Amino acid sequence: MSFLLHGLLYGAVVGSVLLTVTAWAVWFERKFSARMQSRLGPTIVGPVGLLQPIADALKLMQKETIFPDNADRFLFRAAPPFMVVFSLATAAVVPFGPDMIAADLDIGVLYILALAGLMLFPVWIGGWASNNKFALLAAMRGIAQGVSYELPLVLSALVPVVLAGSMSLSVIVSFQAEHGWFIVWPPGPGLIAFGIFFVASLAETNRIPFDIPEAESELVAGVTTEYTGMKFGFFYLAEYLHTLVSAAVAAALFFGGWHGPWVSGLHWFVLKTLVLFVSIFWIRWTLVRFRADQLMRLCWKWLVPISLVVLMAAAVAVQLGEGR
Amino acid sequence: MSVELTAQRRADPYLDLEDYDPEADLMVLNVGPQHPSTHGVFRMKLYLDGEVIVKAVPYVGYLHRGVEKLCEKLTYTQVTPIVDKNDYVSPMMNEQAINMAFEDLLGVEVPRRARWLRTVLAELQRIASHLLWLGTFTLDLGGAIGGGSTLFLYCFRERELVLDIFEELTGCRFHYNTHTIGGNRHDITPGWAKMVHEAISVIEARTHEYEAMVTRNGIYADRTRGIGVIDAGLAMELGLTGPALRGSGVDHDLRRDAPYHAYDEVEVRVQTEAAGDCMARALVRIREMRESVRIVREMVDGVPEGPICGHRPIKLATQTKIKAGQAYACLESPRGELGTFVIAGGGSGTACPYRLKIRPPSLHALAAVPYIMPGHMVSDAVAILGSLDPILGEADR
Amino acid sequence: MIHIDPASELGTLLRERFGAEDFPKDAAPLVSPERHVELARVLAEEHGYRVFLYVAASHWPVVAPNPKKEGDTGDPEHYEIAYALRRPGPNTDVAHWRVRVDVGHSVPSLVPLFAGADWQEREQYDLVGVVFEGHPDLRRLMMPEDWEGHPLRRDYAIDTACPPWR
Repeated sequence: MSFLLHGLLYGAVVGSVLLTVTAWAVWFERKFSARMQSRLGPTIVGPVGLLQPIADALKLMQKETIFPDNADRFLFRAAPPFMVVFSLATAAVVPFGPDMIAADLDIGVLYILALAGLMLFPVWIGGWASNNKFALLAAMRGIAQGVSYELPLVLSALVPVVLAGSMSLSVIVSFQAEHGWFIVWPPGPGLIAFGIFFVASLAETNRIPFDIPEAESELVAGVTTEYTGMKFGFFYLAEYLHTLVSAAVAAALFFGGWHGPWVSGLHWFVLKTLVLFVSIFWIRWTLVRFRADQLMRLCWKWLVPISLVVLMAAAVAVQLGEGR
Repeated sequence: MSVELTAQRRADPYLDLEDYDPEADLMVLNVGPQHPSTHGVFRMKLYLDGEVIVKAVPYVGYLHRGVEKLCEKLTYTQVTPIVDKNDYVSPMMNEQAINMAFEDLLGVEVPRRARWLRTVLAELQRIASHLLWLGTFTLDLGGAIGGGSTLFLYCFRERELVLDIFEELTGCRFHYNTHTIGGNRHDITPGWAKMVHEAISVIEARTHEYEAMVTRNGIYADRTRGIGVIDAGLAMELGLTGPALRGSGVDHDLRRDAPYHAYDEVEVRVQTEAAGDCMARALVRIREMRESVRIVREMVDGVPEGPICGHRPIKLATQTKIKAGQAYACLESPRGELGTFVIAGGGSGTACPYRLKIRPPSLHALAAVPYIMPGHMVSDAVAILGSLDPILGEADR
Repeated sequence: MIHIDPASELGTLLRERFGAEDFPKDAAPLVSPERHVELARVLAEEHGYRVFLYVAASHWPVVAPNPKKEGDTGDPEHYEIAYALRRPGPNTDVAHWRVRVDVGHSVPSLVPLFAGADWQEREQYDLVGVVFEGHPDLRRLMMPEDWEGHPLRRDYAIDTACPPWR
């Protein structure tokens, strides 16, 4: 199949599937959190509230777009779509199955980390362009947090790269299929690296306990304070999409992707992603948030040194012949 | 760059910002009357140097409804439903404080049954109020979409049990109008005590969980330990009473030291903490909840027989006439010393009070804000405000 | 009823050091405005009354002399300000006193002694109109900054119209 056709086809399929899954992930989060809080969640729209995401989307689309005075016209409008685009783009290199990957780049991990870095821009632009002090504070916090937590994210994502010897995600997954999932083998570096990657992903996607850019009780709605209607919908969607894709990337990097006992395939990948996704929710609905300086302290004093040590341990493991 | 505080941890509320640092580019953040965590309509202007607060200027009065002026035209029995809405979270306290002052002026003796029942109701109300406080405090720390709301909903689930008890007794979940001069209007039914026992055993089990969560959750401890320290001298000067004063180490509780209702017949163990920070105040309140549970369990079965009201039933609103006198009656509300100062007689005749002044503990708590907030960050500002437990209804009246 | 026993510790203090003569059975004793700050200081530092309870000002309109009563001179328009301090702890006690001042004159402020007096005095200024001399920042607390009139005065009608909220 020609490269262009392959790309278009996969782009359309992956894009639409991911967007749909994200919409129903919202439903799932609402139901899950509701049960955690001894209440019911959506029950009215459709059986068990399953049509709730459609109702939400329709509601958001018909809301009036309020444009704040003195807000930067172009940037205010540009920020939300960029967030969605970057989140979706990250999914291009994720191997969903043995031969199901949209773009099998040699530098898959680098591409993902680069996009994670780029995702800071719409947050920052949206907060600054809103001409609102709360949004500005949130945007500054978002930048500080995002830039800081990139380091542990990169360093811990490098551990599978070092162990497998390649940056391409499909090669990393095939390596794990052959030798064993990185989370359990070689014993040590993989598990700690996964822990750090998980925490850093929580911080990059602005989930509690790291949601200071969106600190709802301090900064009204953070970056999205002035956004209404579908623009807000895009930010909301992008956040969930980013979380879902981060869970997928973590599953691919540390849990062996589509590999599993008996029959390997897409279903294992989906299962692993969902388990990680659910644990992200669980943490969100249980913990209170960090203060900004405590968050930075956690990153720079704990996560960065530990991830450096783990990376070196992984390199040593490779040199000792266990990796290759 | 952080604001240097004196050794006594007291910032200057009248700090002239030019004296602070002429080079600093201070941002003014208006935590406006509409904000997810201002506990009512309360406005704070924060002068920020980055994320650090240099000066905090609070503004109250957004909920001022002129209760004191209204009461000058209302008869003594009509006042009760109005002051219900002051401290709208613990209405029993408002009613009791008002009626205690009027009983003092009239010289009416409240029968033992009514005093006993008032004690039980006050302690149940204290449990409900502290549950609400805990829920909203965690909400401030964690966000309505997130971990904060989980504990918030759990606390409200328990609070519903207490509100069901009140509904069984008075017919209202909130704003009961159940107290009157000389006693109570609603008497308990035979199954009520059993209902109370069931509810408080559930609540007691949960308070252990809540205390564990507050003390053992690392993030919670990080957000509250060492934040918003009020030293004992400043607390007393400000007129802070209740958990805020006890959280700063001062051993003072009106229930034990100046007993009213039936508190002289039951032991009240006063909880104090020395640290004076948000964590200390939180622990004091949670332990007070447990203490209230113990008091209710001890008292609810032994309600003595007798009349429920010592004053003749009020048929006409103008039947209660007080010629002259000044009285001050106070009780220990979940927020501190809620007092009522009444001047009777004077120009308004004998049926209405001349001047009714309600001493709200929340106003004194809010007055602490300019002294303790500078030096902390924006995230701490909401934690401090939550830990002071202000209710704007009673602060503004 | 608020009644200070003249023979008690507090009553003796008021009688001997601060010239309070009248101890009514249903009100606090009157202390002169010039001396009440000193009284508060003595109570706080020497007797432990350190918790600031309240300031309550009331407005008493002019009472014309009654021609039927002999020697009745009436009463000029004045404010009566009631103060209370509490001594915390197991032997808790409340010290009450009143200050009477004619309208147009000011009362010394307790702010240098008690930080809590700040907002309480502002509230009484706002609602009743008493001016506290020595207060660092006497402005309205409850009512909007540009409100005219003092609502809790007896001559302020309860249904006074207010301008529409901006």
